[in-house]
This record gives sequence, C-alpha cells and structure tokens, in this order.
Amino acid sequence: MAGTALLSVRNLTVEFDGRAGRLRAVDAISFDVLAEETLALVGESGCGKTVTGLSLLRLVPQPPGHIVAGEVLLDGEDLLALPERALRRLRGRDIAMIFQEPMTALNPVFSIGAQLGTVLRRHQGLSRRAARARALELLEQVGIPEPARRIDEYPHQLSGGQRQRVMIAMALSCGPRLLVADEPTTALDVTTQAQVLAEIGRLQRELRMAMILVTHDLGIVAESCDRAAVMYCGRIVEMRTTAALFSTPHHPYTVGLLEAIPRIREERLADLPVIPGRVPDLAQLPAGCHFAARCPRATDLCREVVPAPLPTADGGLVACHHPYP
Amino acid sequence: MDVLRFALRKLLAGVPLILGVTLLSFTLMVHFGPDRTFELLGKNPTTEQIAELRHQLGYDQPFLLRYGQYLRELLTLDFGHSDATGEKVASLLARSIPVSLALVLPGFVLGNLLGVALALLAASCRGRWPDRLIMAAAVFGMSISFLVVIFVFQIWFCTSHGLDLFPVRGWGMADVPDYLRHVTVPTLAVVFVALGYNTRFYRAVIVEEMERDHVRTARAFGSPPLRLFCRDILKNCAIPIITRITFTIPAIVIGGALLLETSFGIPGAGKVTYEAIISGDQPVLKAVVGLTAMLFVAALLVADILYRVVDPRVSLE
Repeated sequence: MAGTALLSVRNLTVEFDGRAGRLRAVDAISFDVLAEETLALVGESGCGKTVTGLSLLRLVPQPPGHIVAGEVLLDGEDLLALPERALRRLRGRDIAMIFQEPMTALNPVFSIGAQLGTVLRRHQGLSRRAARARALELLEQVGIPEPARRIDEYPHQLSGGQRQRVMIAMALSCGPRLLVADEPTTALDVTTQAQVLAEIGRLQRELRMAMILVTHDLGIVAESCDRAAVMYCGRIVEMRTTAALFSTPHHPYTVGLLEAIPRIREERLADLPVIPGRVPDLAQLPAGCHFAARCPRATDLCREVVPAPLPTADGGLVACHHPYP
Repeated sequence: MDVLRFALRKLLAGVPLILGVTLLSFTLMVHFGPDRTFELLGKNPTTEQIAELRHQLGYDQPFLLRYGQYLRELLTLDFGHSDATGEKVASLLARSIPVSLALVLPGFVLGNLLGVALALLAASCRGRWPDRLIMAAAVFGMSISFLVVIFVFQIWFCTSHGLDLFPVRGWGMADVPDYLRHVTVPTLAVVFVALGYNTRFYRAVIVEEMERDHVRTARAFGSPPLRLFCRDILKNCAIPIITRITFTIPAIVIGGALLLETSFGIPGAGKVTYEAIISGDQPVLKAVVGLTAMLFVAALLVADILYRVVDPRVSLE
C-alpha cells in the first residue's frame, strides 16, 4: 500500500458553540489518506469521527460549528481555504460522501432518478437525457433490481438497503477520488450491512478510489480497512495498519476497545471486559491525556501533559506516554 | 383517474361537514337570531296578526322543514331577497364578492410571495444581519394595528400631507388605471400587515427543513445555495405553505376585508356581511354562512390534491 498521499489533513481543529461555551469536538488531528487505500476513523459516538468526515468538505453546520484551524489538502490544495464556489465544484465530484441515515439522506419529494440526474448534470455537464441513461447504468451497477422502474420511484418506495445503494450510486456517479462513508451500514439490518459493505468494497476497487470509512464497528474495520485511526475525545490516539492494530495494539484505549468485543466462544458473557469510567464531558475535558482518568497505566505525567503522537516501529502512530509494547 | 376518484371521495366526505356547519349555524340563527315579526308589525299587534305574519314568514313551520329549505337554497344558490334592501341576495353577493376579491387578492398574493421570498432570504442568512433585520422588521410590522396602518397610509399616499397620489375613498374597476388607482393603497396596507406574519411563519417552516439530512446531502453534492433553497428545500416546505394559503381564501372571498372596505368606502362582501349582521338580515346571513362552509370544503379538497402534487408520500387512498 505504498503510495502518495491523496488527502492530507493537518492540525484540523473543529469547535462547537455549546451552552457552556466553545466545545472542541476535533482537536488538532492530522492524518493522510493514500490513493486507493481505505482508512477507518473509529471510535465511540461523540469522539469526533463524523465531524472530522464532514469537515473535509466544510459540511459542518456553521454556526454552531467552527473549523478554527487546520488544513485539508487534496492534491496539495487546501479545501478549507477554497472559496465556496470552487468548493462546490469539488463536492460530489472529487470527494463524495455517503451518510448514515439512508431514510432521511435523500430528498423525499424528488424521484431518485431526478436526484441522481441533478448531480450528473451539475458535475458532468450531461444533458437531461444522457443523465437519465447514466443514472440507469449507475443503479444497475450498485445492484438495484429493475432499475428502469426504480428510477422514477421516490425514496419512500425503496427499502433501507436500496436507498443506501442509491446513495452509493450518487456518490460514485462522478468517479470521485475519495469516498467518505459515514457509518454507511449502521442503520441497516445485519444481512444488508454485509451486502452493502461488499458492494462498496467492490466498487472502490473497480473505480480505484480511496475511502475514509467512519465507523464504531471494529468488525467492519477488520474486514474492510487497510489502516485505522482510533479517535478518543477529538484526538487520534492510535493510527496503524489494521493487522498491526488488532495484533499488537499499543494505546490502552485501543486495547480496551478490542477486549470489549464479545467473542462467541467466551463462556460467560457477564465477564465481558469493559473500559471503566465514562467518556468525559467535552465541556470539562481534563488537561493532559483525555483518556487518563480511565486508563490502567496512567501516571501523573498523563494527567498533565498531552502525549504527542509518536511513530511506532511499523510505521504507525501512537499518542501515549506509556504504550503497551 | 386516481385523482378524479380521490377528489370525488373528498367531496363526499365534505358533505357531512357542510351539513354539520349549516345545521349548527341554522339552529343558532333560528333560536337566537333576529325575529322580524315585531319589527314589521309595529306597536300593539293582535295575537291574530302575529300568528298571521309568522305564518307568512314561515316561522311556524317545523324546524326540519325550514332547515331543508335552507339546504335547497344553498344548492340552488337562491337565497331569496334581502330583508333590508329587498335586493336579491344572489345578485347582492354577485356584485360584492368580485369587488372584495379584486380588493384583497393582489395584497394576498404579494404578501405571500414576498413573505416566502423574505423568509428564504432570512433563512439562508440565518443568525446573520440580514436575518436579524428581516425578523425585526417582521415583528415591527406585526405590532402595528391594521387600522393605524390604513390611516397612516391614507395620510401618506392620499392626502396633501403626503404624496397625494390616490383617492382616499371609493372604488372603481371600469378600466385598469381606474382599478390601480383604487387598489394600490389598500394593497400596500394588506401587504404591510400580512408580510410580518407570513415571513415569520414561512421562515420557521424553512429553517426546520434546512436542518434535515437531505439538505446536507444536497450540499455534499455541490448544490448551489439558490437551487438548494428554491428547489430542494422549498418543495419540502410546500405542504404548510399550501395549507396556510388555501385556508385563507374562503375567509377572503366571503368575509372580504371589513376594515379595508369600511375605511376606503368600498362596496365589498365584508361590508355586506357586516351590515347584514347589524340589521339582522337573515337571508344574507344564511347565504354567507352556508357559502363559507362550502368554500372551506372546496379549499380542503384543493389543498388535499395539491399536497399530492408536491409530495409523493401523500397517498391517494
């Protein structure tokens, strides 16, 4: 998976206006996405992974959100500094997104053909007729049965899985170089999840896209991602290749996450390990390492000094004063 | 075909509604409404005279029969003659309703169009100064009494204290310039008063829609703001907008705009209704009440069909 960075995120910091003042949802994170690779952003709800995904295309609602610092470089061009108009041309064409809720992510009052066609006409300059023909192809490509009939149907007439396939078709319609998939299967039932993931994987390889997969599901990470960045309270605590992450996790939080995966052969489920304590309130984040209060290896140093991300032997990063070997 | 059957079913469903409204209002009119007996007989009538007149007026007939007659009047639109002027009620309304419509409709249409436009503008700048300015102006407009607006506008536009461009009172629809001369100031007043309410209402509807996931999707695929607001969002807001507009129409057609008509001396339906209430002119009142009920059912039907046009999720079943 050697390759050049397609997308470089540097120092991205996103804050939200809360009742108790500014909350820092994403705290100076940096990562690269290489061409054609799949990077997972993984963590608990509220860790900032979705906000990170949305920030790449400046889709965080402003206000209350504010991207206060950082760069998002796509081929060296900073998307955060781009004028709105130039950014609009890029949205959906170079970077496409798939969202978590297929029920609500499509516009309920336009047919799926019209919604696909709009994107195709906008970004590819297709005529109405050509856009429709291309939309049909796309629906077929993502495995919608009877596309000729479905194309004139409205989102409410499709199942959840089919709607997500329509979203995928829309995301792939302009051959983006990067796909940002925000929990694309969370709202689907388990069998559909597997199908949709397989579909995304197949199309990703066919179209040679890179992908950022935002998820809380370590199973999905193990199955379909090359690398994973584990996020906690707005920071990346560990970023490694998937194989390395699962075999030798360094950060105590990653270790805790992996131990908390239920295994079928385990006899007594009551003994399922949990990470003690709770995710701290974003309004009252501790100084130093955010995970210190829940960490078995924490020392006074952890409570005072923010651990800097350090390179690991295998080319990953870990932000911990006392990592597991 | 489906739409036709749907319309027919809705019409049928409107029948009990019309019956209910007319029965209730007819009962009220019969039991608490004006009784013309003593008005017509003058001082010291004899019992026979009273009985005779009540028979002539039909007051002695059983309630259901009288109600049946009322329903027939509604169906044939023949409400007899006005007690006050002796003119046929049908021709009275045929004369005054078009005046009311011509008077109120321009303001109504403009007030709604401008309301939607301002609401879109405010919503798209939510929290920034254009939004604050528009909303502050809306509250200002809403806070001023309609009557005050009318007087101030009359002074500004119609007198030598102001521009002195239009007549203070009167009405004419002989030709377009004549119509414009008389309709402009009332229209301005209507727009001024309605705009605040409309803008606030439509902005609330649009802002709610703006937060939906599909709007984020549209933005993620490069939808420019104009298209986003005027197409993607607005079509989703159509149902509350249609509801508000269609259900105001019956009140305008029949109720007219009493304040406008009185202040500008315009012979519209509002004035006819008002005078009928004051003088207890039952034939006119019966016509007004019945027609209003029927128009509401029609508005209901139109709204239901339009819902279906704008929102595919609305079923015709």
